Amino acid sequence: MTVRVFLVDDHELFLSGVRGELADRDRFDVAGWATDVDDAVAAIRRLVPDIVLVDVHMPGGGGLSVIRNVTETHPDIRFLALSVSDAPEDVIAMIRAGARGYVTKTIAGDELADALARTADGDAVFSPRLAGFVLDAFAGTLPQPDDPELDQLTPREREVLRQIARGHTYKQVARRLSISVKTVETHVSAVLRKLQLSSRHELARWATDRRIV
Amino acid sequence: MSARTRCDTIATKMNTVQVNNWSELRSWLTRSTDDRVFTGVAGGIGARLGVGSGYARAGFFGLGLTGFGLVIYPLLFALSGGTAPSTDLVGDEIDRRQRLGLTFMFVGAMVAFASGGTWLDGPTIGALTLIAFGIAAVWDRGIGVATDQSRIRIIIGAVVIVAGMAVLLGSTDRLTGLGPVVLAVGITMAGLILVFGPWALRLAGDLGEERRDRIRSEERAEMAAHLHDSVLQTFAMIQRTDDPKKMTTLARSQERELRSWLYGARGGDQGQMLSDALEDMADRVEQAHDVPVDVVVVNDLPMSPRIEAVVAAGGEAATNAARHSGSAKVSVYAEVHDGVLEVFVSDQGTGFNPAALPPDRHGLRQSVFGRMHRHGGTAEILSEPGEGTEIHLTMPLEPS
Repeated sequence: MTVRVFLVDDHELFLSGVRGELADRDRFDVAGWATDVDDAVAAIRRLVPDIVLVDVHMPGGGGLSVIRNVTETHPDIRFLALSVSDAPEDVIAMIRAGARGYVTKTIAGDELADALARTADGDAVFSPRLAGFVLDAFAGTLPQPDDPELDQLTPREREVLRQIARGHTYKQVARRLSISVKTVETHVSAVLRKLQLSSRHELARWATDRRIV
Repeated sequence: MSARTRCDTIATKMNTVQVNNWSELRSWLTRSTDDRVFTGVAGGIGARLGVGSGYARAGFFGLGLTGFGLVIYPLLFALSGGTAPSTDLVGDEIDRRQRLGLTFMFVGAMVAFASGGTWLDGPTIGALTLIAFGIAAVWDRGIGVATDQSRIRIIIGAVVIVAGMAVLLGSTDRLTGLGPVVLAVGITMAGLILVFGPWALRLAGDLGEERRDRIRSEERAEMAAHLHDSVLQTFAMIQRTDDPKKMTTLARSQERELRSWLYGARGGDQGQMLSDALEDMADRVEQAHDVPVDVVVVNDLPMSPRIEAVVAAGGEAATNAARHSGSAKVSVYAEVHDGVLEVFVSDQGTGFNPAALPPDRHGLRQSVFGRMHRHGGTAEILSEPGEGTEIHLTMPLEPS
C-alpha cells in the first residue's frame, strides 16, 4: 500500500529535492505540495493525504498553524515536522501541537523515507536530539501523586529514550534491551502521547527555565 | 471651499451633535485612547469638534470651578460609547472661526454659571479660566515645530496666562499678603514653566527617541559584523572549494556556530557549560575528520576539572570513532543523573572486539581509560565486529 504524502515548505528548492527523493521510492506517492499556510490547509483538506511533511518556519503562522487548522477537521492525518531549527521551543511546540515526529533538514534521504513510513504506520519518530529534549523535560521529577498515569515516564520508556538519544536505531535498541522492535515503537509512541497530553507543571517549568514560553 | 459649503459642513457637524438617540450619541462620543489625562473624555470631545483637546480640557476646568463641570464630566464619561484613538478624527478643515465659536460657548456657559451664584466668586473663575485657556493655547499640538504661527500662539498664550494671573492677584486678598518679591518670582517661574514646559518635555522625548535609535542601529551593526565574519566568510570559502566533503564540514560548523550564537546566550553569564564544551569538542573533531558529530545533552551543568577530563576523554573517543570506524556519523550523548555524569560516544561503524584491542591504540588506552581513571571515573567499551562501537564514560560529580 502506498503512502500518500503532502509536502509543506516555503522553500521551492527544498520541496523539489524531497519530491525527487520520494519519487524513486515505490512506497510513497506525493499527493501534493504547498508553499504557504493557507494553501496548505486548503489542499490538505481537499486531498486528505496519509501524512504531511511540514516545515516549522513559514510565513503566516508556520507549521504550527497548519497542524492546528487541519487537525480541527481531520484528526486522522499524521504530521512529521521538518526544520532547520532544532531549538527546543520549536521542537516541543510542534510535538505538543500533534506532530508525530520531528526531524531536521540535515536528515539523509533514506532516513527521511524511513521516518515518513514509520509515522504513516502510526509510530512516533524520535531523533536522538528529540529524545534528549524529552528526557531533559521529564528529568529529575518526583512522582506526581495527582496524575502519575499520564505524566511520568516509566523506567523502561526512559531507558528506550536514552538508547535513542545515544544514536541507536530502533532495531539496535530492541536488541540491546532484548525486546522486539514493535515494543520499542510502543514505548516511543507512549512517550509521545504523554508529551502531547501532559499539562504537568514540570514540563511548564522546564520550558520556562529555558525561556521557551 | 466656499464660505457657504463650509457653513453647511459645520451645520452638519452641529446636527450630529444634537442627537436624540442614545446609541447615536454613544457612538458619536468616544473617549480618546491616545490623548487623555483622566479618562479621555476631553480628548474625545476635542477630536470630535476638531479643536485641540487642551481647549476642551480648559472648558472642563472652567466648568469644574463653577461646580457644573464636576457633574457633566462623569455624565459624559458614562454616556460615551467605548474608546477610540483621536488622531484620525482630527480634521484639517476645522477653521479658526469654529474654535472661536467654541471658546465663546464655554465662556458664555461660564458666565451663566458664575452669575448663578457658585462657590467661587466671578473674577476668580474668570481669571482661572483665562489661565486655563492660555495653557491650552501654549500646549496645543504643533508646539516644537518652530513656525511663526506656533510662536504667535505661544506669545498669545503667555499673555493670556499673565493676564489671568494679574486678575487673580487683584481679586484675591490672601495672596497680596505675601511679600511682593516672592510673589513676583513665583509668578514668573510659574509662567515660565507653563510657557516653556511643553517645549522642554518635547525635547526630552526627542532625546529618548534618539537614544533608542542609536541602540537599534548599534545592534544592527553588531549583527552585520557577526554575519560578515561568520556566514559570509563561510560562503566565500564554500565557493572556492571543490571537495563536497569539505563543503559539508564548513556548512555544518557554520550552522553550529550560528545556532550557538542565536540560541546559545540564553543561559546568561554563568560561564561555560558542559553542553558548550561538548559542542566545541564535536566541532573540532568534525573539522579534523570530516565526519558529523551530533551532541545531545540532558541536564546541563557548569564545567569543573573533572568534567573537563570527561569532555577530553569523550573527544578522544569521538576522534577514534571518526577515524577508525568508517561510520557516517558519530553520536555523543551526555546525561547527568543521580550525581553521576555519563557520556556515551557511539558510531554505527565496523566495530571491533574490545578484548583484542591492538596494543598500539594509545589513544584509547591513555587518553580515554587513563584519563578517566586518574580523575576517579570509569570507561568501558561496548563493541562487536559489525555492530558499531560505543564508549561509555562515567564520572561521579563529587570525589568519592
